[in-house]
Amino acid sequence: MTGIHADIDALKGLHEALVRYRHAQREVADRAAGRIRAARASLEEKASRWQAQLALCQAELGACQERAAQADPDDPVDCSGYARAAEQSGEQLERIRRWQQRIDAEASEFAGPAGRFLDLLDNDLPRVEQHVLALIASLEAARRVQAPAP
Amino acid sequence: MPGRPDQDGDQQLRLLGDAWEKASQHWLDGTARRFGDGQWAPLHQESRSYLEALRELMDTLDAAERDTEG
Repeated sequence: MTGIHADIDALKGLHEALVRYRHAQREVADRAAGRIRAARASLEEKASRWQAQLALCQAELGACQERAAQADPDDPVDCSGYARAAEQSGEQLERIRRWQQRIDAEASEFAGPAGRFLDLLDNDLPRVEQHVLALIASLEAARRVQAPAP
Repeated sequence: MPGRPDQDGDQQLRLLGDAWEKASQHWLDGTARRFGDGQWAPLHQESRSYLEALRELMDTLDAAERDTEG
């Protein structure tokens, strides 16, 4: 159907595109929420791992320091390796905690536009689609064009 | 393997923009103008705001992943 009905055809194309858009963006929003959950879970798992590593390093350092306290002054015990390992574990844990805080803050900011977008997808967009269908029906009725069976 | 959701969302918005562009070439009456101003423009703007916020958040998630590897 072309020519004088080009506007009707174009509106039908727009309606189909709106429906596809709503479904596709809903999937995008679901995947985004999944990415946020996965990132948080990954950081939490890393934090737990490094927390355990830090505890182990601190225990080893403590044991070393006890040995050092009891060691012969002529044969001192060097605990610097344990100290360095504990420091590095602490730094890594702190880095992860900072990312967790930043992601919490940014995810909280994101909740505003995300909520408005989901409202658009769930409420506004179906109304726009219905509006376009009504326009198509109106144009078809005005030109006595028979709409195809659904 | 799906890409980043913000990039897929951008692509979907481009496709919808193409459909609107095509429709607006053939639909030129006052109703079309009112639709463009009252429904299309807010829909497009709200989508852009969401996708921009999503891009920034996905950038942060990727940076966090890179910085905490190992």
